[in-house]
Amino acid sequence: MDEWKPNPAIKPHKKRSWYLAWKYKLMNQRALRKLCQTGAVLFLLVTVIVNIKLILDTRRAAYEEEEEPAQDYDDEMLNVEVPRHPVSNKKVLDVEVYSSRSKVYVAVDGTTILEDEAREQGRGIHVIVLNQATGHVMAKRVFDTYSPHEDEAMVLFLNMVARGRILIFTIKDEGSFHLKDTAKNVLKSLGSQVAPFLSWRDMWTFVGKKGGEVYGEKHAKSPALSTWGDPVLLKTEVHLTSVEDAECRWPDTELNRRRKRFCSKVEGYGSVCSCKDPTPIEFNPDPLKDNKVFDVPVAVIAGNRPNYLYRMLRSLLSAQGVNPQMITVFIDGYYEEPMDVVELFGLSGIQHTPISIKNARVSQHYKASLTATFNLFPDAKFAVVLEEDLDISVDFFSFLSQSIHLLEEDESLYCISAWNDQGYEHTAEDPSLLYRVETMPGLGWVLRKSLYKDELEPKWPTPEKLWDWDMWMRMPEQRKGRECIIPDISRSYHFGIVGLNMNGYFHEAYFKKHKFNTVPNVQLKNVESLRKDAYETEIHRLLGEAEILDHSKNPCEDSFVPDTEGKVYVMFIRMEQEADFTTWTQLAKCLHIWDLDVRGNHKGLWRLFRKKNHFLVVGVPASPYSSKKPSSVTPIYMEPPAKEEGAAVPAVAAAEQT
Amino acid sequence: HVVRKFLGLISSHNIPVYLIDPLILGLVDKDIEKIKTSPGGPSLECKYFCAPRDFTTFALLDKTWKHEVGLFRTAEKMGFQWLKIINKDPRLDGMEDLSGIEIPLHYIFKLASHAIHLVVFYERSGNYLWHGPLRLKQHMDRKFVPFRKLHFGRYPGAYEKPELLLISIDDLKVQIPKNPSSFLEEMSHSRFLECRYREARAFFQLYPDDASLDAVEFRKKAKSLLHLAALTLNNLGVKFWLSSGTCLGWYRQCSVIPHSKDVDLGVFIRDYKADIIPAFQKAGLPLKHKFGKVEDSLELSFQGEDDVKLDIFFFYEEDDYIWNGGTQAKSGKKFKYLFPKFTLCWTEFVELKVHVPCETLQYVEANYGPDWKVPVKTWDWKSSPSNAQYNGVWPINEWEDVIQIY
Repeated sequence: MDEWKPNPAIKPHKKRSWYLAWKYKLMNQRALRKLCQTGAVLFLLVTVIVNIKLILDTRRAAYEEEEEPAQDYDDEMLNVEVPRHPVSNKKVLDVEVYSSRSKVYVAVDGTTILEDEAREQGRGIHVIVLNQATGHVMAKRVFDTYSPHEDEAMVLFLNMVARGRILIFTIKDEGSFHLKDTAKNVLKSLGSQVAPFLSWRDMWTFVGKKGGEVYGEKHAKSPALSTWGDPVLLKTEVHLTSVEDAECRWPDTELNRRRKRFCSKVEGYGSVCSCKDPTPIEFNPDPLKDNKVFDVPVAVIAGNRPNYLYRMLRSLLSAQGVNPQMITVFIDGYYEEPMDVVELFGLSGIQHTPISIKNARVSQHYKASLTATFNLFPDAKFAVVLEEDLDISVDFFSFLSQSIHLLEEDESLYCISAWNDQGYEHTAEDPSLLYRVETMPGLGWVLRKSLYKDELEPKWPTPEKLWDWDMWMRMPEQRKGRECIIPDISRSYHFGIVGLNMNGYFHEAYFKKHKFNTVPNVQLKNVESLRKDAYETEIHRLLGEAEILDHSKNPCEDSFVPDTEGKVYVMFIRMEQEADFTTWTQLAKCLHIWDLDVRGNHKGLWRLFRKKNHFLVVGVPASPYSSKKPSSVTPIYMEPPAKEEGAAVPAVAAAEQT
Repeated sequence: HVVRKFLGLISSHNIPVYLIDPLILGLVDKDIEKIKTSPGGPSLECKYFCAPRDFTTFALLDKTWKHEVGLFRTAEKMGFQWLKIINKDPRLDGMEDLSGIEIPLHYIFKLASHAIHLVVFYERSGNYLWHGPLRLKQHMDRKFVPFRKLHFGRYPGAYEKPELLLISIDDLKVQIPKNPSSFLEEMSHSRFLECRYREARAFFQLYPDDASLDAVEFRKKAKSLLHLAALTLNNLGVKFWLSSGTCLGWYRQCSVIPHSKDVDLGVFIRDYKADIIPAFQKAGLPLKHKFGKVEDSLELSFQGEDDVKLDIFFFYEEDDYIWNGGTQAKSGKKFKYLFPKFTLCWTEFVELKVHVPCETLQYVEANYGPDWKVPVKTWDWKSSPSNAQYNGVWPINEWEDVIQIY
């Protein structure tokens, strides 16, 4: 089952015949019944594994699709622009929609606006939104409704499309397997007669106006489980309305002019384009008193995920103390839609020709963005670096304003980051608390100009090195023992689930339950104690105050920490030398925090919260704080699980269920 | 009057402009003391703005305003016709593959027969202000105003950040540079040359950059040495420019040549000051050697951090050429390097606003010959330069003075 699965039914079939043969051979033996049972269990197991693999393959296929957005984009570029001219002086559009197993296409007035015959991708329902007055393509999406949850995304998308828009649907390969009733009903409400009865490997095309007439629908049923319906080609005409009818009558202000430009071009942003009650695009959050970061440039690093960028910029512009004039969005590639989003909010955006591939491409984009930021703001001593898939906390700038002087004065600091790698719902508690950590969390952080200009920029990884910029920044050659300041409760939230190094499972396991501060104007506690030497005093004070936990208990159990609140507890784990994280990793795993590499440590000490108590973990004897361990206490050692073949698969499968 | 109307317009949009019109500033400068002390009450005469002119020039700091559409709508309502000149943002020019940024460089507001020329100044790396050239695009109205007569825009220009002064003249409150005469002085040689980024990229395509740790380290040291030298000489008021290898690095690759091993500056001998040596010593750069004397072939070398040397060559002007001298320590031989005459322009190099010869190509070619585009790692300062001439030998009795090595 390594390859694609045009017919998932076949292989289990084969297995069954093999199983039957085996069964016959054993027919006359005494243990027949027992063997049959074992066989059945085995068969079930094989099926489960095969299915898991199938799911993983599908994911991989989806992931690979993600990797070549540039190619998609070229097509789009070519095709989006063309219909403008013939369309403008015509009142009727000729629309052709084709659906088949291996190819779909949509043509408007003879110009192809969608064509997908690539193997092993583009499966599911393709949706195109046209402007009802101009015929321009406003959105193009494909929902792989063969896979779970994609139908929900489609419903969400269709709900956001404005009334009156022209919707075109076509199925490639298979689009019904996980198309649930809710989605079918939405399609039905758009006027589709076939949608409620769409089934396995049917071919289907549909053109209609949202909240209005149906221009055509064609359907071909699949005659048998193993074959596809015949290709269908729908040819129809769409009558264009006048421009006035297609636009909302918002009052003529500069803001609404931006809104109008945006809403006549792209679709899928919901209420921002609502005629009756459009959501604001200017936020005017309260200014921050004595804002020390008002003049710090903000670089937003973006790719081609315009919906993410939209969400991100909304939260950024709503944060208290934001200064929109200092924001620049850097888009990796000549993508139009992210630029439309940037312009909607009246911000400035810069496009960057992609250099190299994958991680190296991201690294080069980071470098270009940072260099450009310091060129554009030559007076700046710092830059705030954000990514397009982050929500920004309402007190993000307040948090930075209170802490930035540390970065200016304390040479032993590498960055200030809004993100606590270990700050999950169940492990972070105090919005006013800051830590020093030896790792570089990223995900919303402040970079010192001198660090960038004098150290990082001159030796930034070149395009042929396929390195992650953040991994590179974490290397000892760059970090040189310096630390970052982080909050206990993160001031950013990582919501992206599609991305180069990201997928739904990974996001669910490591990011979804991250705590995110929503309290405005948090006064940070004891900021001065974050300075290099003061912090040591603070840690010693904490350890002096801490109650030692019962080391005979299992640290993974909830009962390991007493049912108290607001106390400080300490536990000691075994850590033979500075790089021995064996026990820590096991502990992190059972506490359900970040365990993929070591994060959040400071000299062999980790600080987090358990049951609203401050919970300190000291690695003995590597940590200098080991001296706090009474001789009677034996540091806890947790063994890594024995390396079993395939042990990872059930773990992944289990997570898939949740 | 047009200026009054314009000032009304910009103040209604809260846009802080300041007057940089050389003709008016010239008049203001003559009366500066009187204007500063006068309370700014109503005056009957119109002494400064009212002379018949085609236009009046104002400056605008980019970062102090938001590019607002509203301004133009109001301007139109008031009867102004306006023209906007945009072009590529030079602050991003040095970087490959960025786009999306064109910035406004000049605005012209015209009402009846008078026009306001609004020059947009941008802050750039090196703590200075820059304005762009005024270039018309094909479709633009070439007769909108007499462009040739404009005082700003023939070339891009570089300026110090000015201190401003609010004055009241002809019944109008305007901001002007605090010291009009020094502003006018600065204006007269403000011409700015952008580094040739495109050619530099082509150069690196041909000869990939040295990314070794040594190269990174040397560049870092050379940059900080240059910053220190610039600070020291600027404090003394000694005008200098990038010379020899440092100039070649700027012109050819927009960066320090990593194998050059020293930093070279040029200074006109007429700008020589005896304070130079103590000032550098005070800045932590001891004198390494001194060759020649003020009257002939003067050359100073200072020891920077870790073997990076700062060479200052003094240039002597003749009727039809300029030259500097060299001295071979062990033999007392003199050399003379000839250059065609040149003037000085500003440029930006390693986050510093510095001078380079405006006629850079001739300067570099004189020094390095027609093959200056090809990197050479072995360079003999006595024979390699194509403009080197043997210039006799120092008399033995002068050696003690003209060959000093520390």
